Amino acid sequence: MTIAPKAPRKLTMKQRYEALTRDLDWEPSYVDKNDVFPYTEFEGIKIHDWSKWEDPFRLTVDAYTKYQAEKDKRLYAVLDGFAQSQGHLSLTDASYLNAMKLFLQGVTPLEYQAHRNFAYLARHLNGPGPRFAALCQSIDELRHTQTEIHTLSNYNKYYGGFHNYLEQHDRVWYLSVPKSFFDDAVSAGPFEFLIAIGFSFEYLLTNLLFVPFMSGASFNGDLPTMTFGFSAQSDESRHMTLGLEAIKFLLEQDEANVPIVQAWIDKWFWRGYRVTALIAQMLDYMLPRKVMSWKEAFELYFEEQMLGGLFQDLAFYGITPPRHVDDAIGEKEVLSHQVYWTLYQFSHAAAFTTTFPDVDAMSWLSENYPGTFDKIYKPLWDKEAKNLAAGGRHFARGLPQLCQVCQIPMLFTEPGDPTTLCQRDSVYNGEKFQTCSNGCQWIFEREPEKYVQAWLPVHQIYQGNCGGPTVPDVLAWYGIEEGDGGEYKGSVDNNNWNTWHNLADHSHIGSEA
Amino acid sequence: MSSTAAPTRPVGVDIQESETNRSVVEAIELTNVDCTVQHIPGIVRITAPGRLVITRESVEARLGREWETHEFQLAIVSYFGHIKEWDDDEIVIAWDH
Amino acid sequence: MAVKSIGMYEFPSASRQELYGDDQLVHLWFQENPWFCAAACFRAPKAMTWGDFWNALVVPFAEEDPDFDPVARRVWTLHGETFEPRDDQTLEEIGVEHKDVIGMKVLV
Repeated sequence: MTIAPKAPRKLTMKQRYEALTRDLDWEPSYVDKNDVFPYTEFEGIKIHDWSKWEDPFRLTVDAYTKYQAEKDKRLYAVLDGFAQSQGHLSLTDASYLNAMKLFLQGVTPLEYQAHRNFAYLARHLNGPGPRFAALCQSIDELRHTQTEIHTLSNYNKYYGGFHNYLEQHDRVWYLSVPKSFFDDAVSAGPFEFLIAIGFSFEYLLTNLLFVPFMSGASFNGDLPTMTFGFSAQSDESRHMTLGLEAIKFLLEQDEANVPIVQAWIDKWFWRGYRVTALIAQMLDYMLPRKVMSWKEAFELYFEEQMLGGLFQDLAFYGITPPRHVDDAIGEKEVLSHQVYWTLYQFSHAAAFTTTFPDVDAMSWLSENYPGTFDKIYKPLWDKEAKNLAAGGRHFARGLPQLCQVCQIPMLFTEPGDPTTLCQRDSVYNGEKFQTCSNGCQWIFEREPEKYVQAWLPVHQIYQGNCGGPTVPDVLAWYGIEEGDGGEYKGSVDNNNWNTWHNLADHSHIGSEA
Repeated sequence: MSSTAAPTRPVGVDIQESETNRSVVEAIELTNVDCTVQHIPGIVRITAPGRLVITRESVEARLGREWETHEFQLAIVSYFGHIKEWDDDEIVIAWDH
Repeated sequence: MAVKSIGMYEFPSASRQELYGDDQLVHLWFQENPWFCAAACFRAPKAMTWGDFWNALVVPFAEEDPDFDPVARRVWTLHGETFEPRDDQTLEEIGVEHKDVIGMKVLV
């Protein structure tokens, strides 16, 4: 079956694209142009010629809908087959799904937010070229929201942690990390959003975000997620293009834009990098079958491809690698360990489970982090092993200090000294604020009016805004139920997994009362 | 991190491994003599120094049917470089500077 | 104003001290003890004595560490200086302000 049309086209692709996008635009005759597009000047960005925006994909609505529909059909066929064949039983282990619980709770709602903001751009950017590109991206992001939900809905039938992702995204402490990241972007102006999400998230950091999840899925028997990944990634190449075009367009339109764009790159690299802390721990600790270490992923997808490739290209405009990038590089051998140690001691208040890394996992960590794991982190796990043997299980009996900007517990360490927690202080309007790093402090001090509004989960719990004073009150307010969080061994997921795999007769799986 | 010139800095594309895309990959290999092809689970990664070209004609020749460049949307997973051209006949990935 | 905005952009801080009444948020940093991933955050009355702070808030959190020794000699720091808290002093008297971080290190 061929998808390509058989009749010869009357216009070239370039001509068709012009006819169906730019040529549909018009100059307003009875309204001032500034009233039609009131939001594209306040950020200080100067645009002289909107027609210079290049859209290399040259998609028109007919081609767009045809291929997107085809992608959906191919994905849903796989989802149906997987569900019909009880495919979840061929995952490497139920504990793998903790990665996907984090994904559904943390990432899927961001897709929806992206959909909304790109729809806003599809209306409010002056040029028809970028408006149409933004419109396609808006529909893409809605498709991603929907397909992620459908992809993971099958697991919701059998496993905990998936059932209340939307409410949890808005309420739960670790989810305020991705949520606040995106809130920061959607409350910024249109150009900052383009650089924050279109460029920094969808180009600079996209492989660091997506490839670990999709490869993790592939290696651990998660056919639906892997297939979703391929389905979405083909859209992502258009998103990467939009992001790269956005930055080049701004840089080429006026020299005055360069320092503004540089400052946004500096801010959004760091904000996005801090969000990838959740990916780092997922790669190194949550996957029963490992794909690659965070260190390896960071070196390939960021240092090599971005610093070594993209930033060489941007140097032409006077753009330099992001401020604080050296701090990120310096963290690559410690980040995942620090973050998982944190999630491990707080998963009693989470909608995913954690557990002690087994013997194979410990060897893998030791091999992949020869400079740090055995020296700094294995001793902690050895102490916890004794604790477990004595009937304990390390769960923190209180709340942690949070960073005012990234909202992650202040678990990060001083650059160059992984044994000392990093504490940075700022004062604004007579009030003290703490941040976790040079990067977050710089971001805070640049726009304190924004970050003083942060809805920090720990502070909100202490103000009584999260259901009540006790942990059970807060968990109820989070909509976290029995089976969603805590320790994996002996959990509902773990027990079910063992039962299902020990049974000869699978005919009633999923239909127990 | 050394500064390399645009003509030699690698560009690349990750293609979803599938029956249809097998022909697309073969076509790309024939069109780009100094490209490198690497297989990782589910993906075929093609890299080349400085410039990568996908032509409709070469894909049609391998595929044995008509193919439009828009159909590459169903194959591409990711890419690095800059899409310099995408028209009815070819797609070009290179760096600008 | 550092934020570029459409119109006025002035909003109150979401965690200013007055939202806690007579209480404050106080952080305790377990220096050189990686068992705790980050400093702890407590809500405590300004008029709470150090003794009560220690017994009612700190110990229940800290004793989850199997190696916690409540009577070990410790060095305390606040605002970059060491201090020697007395059980009868209030947090306010000691100089602890809203969101301050108290450093605590066990003397080896």
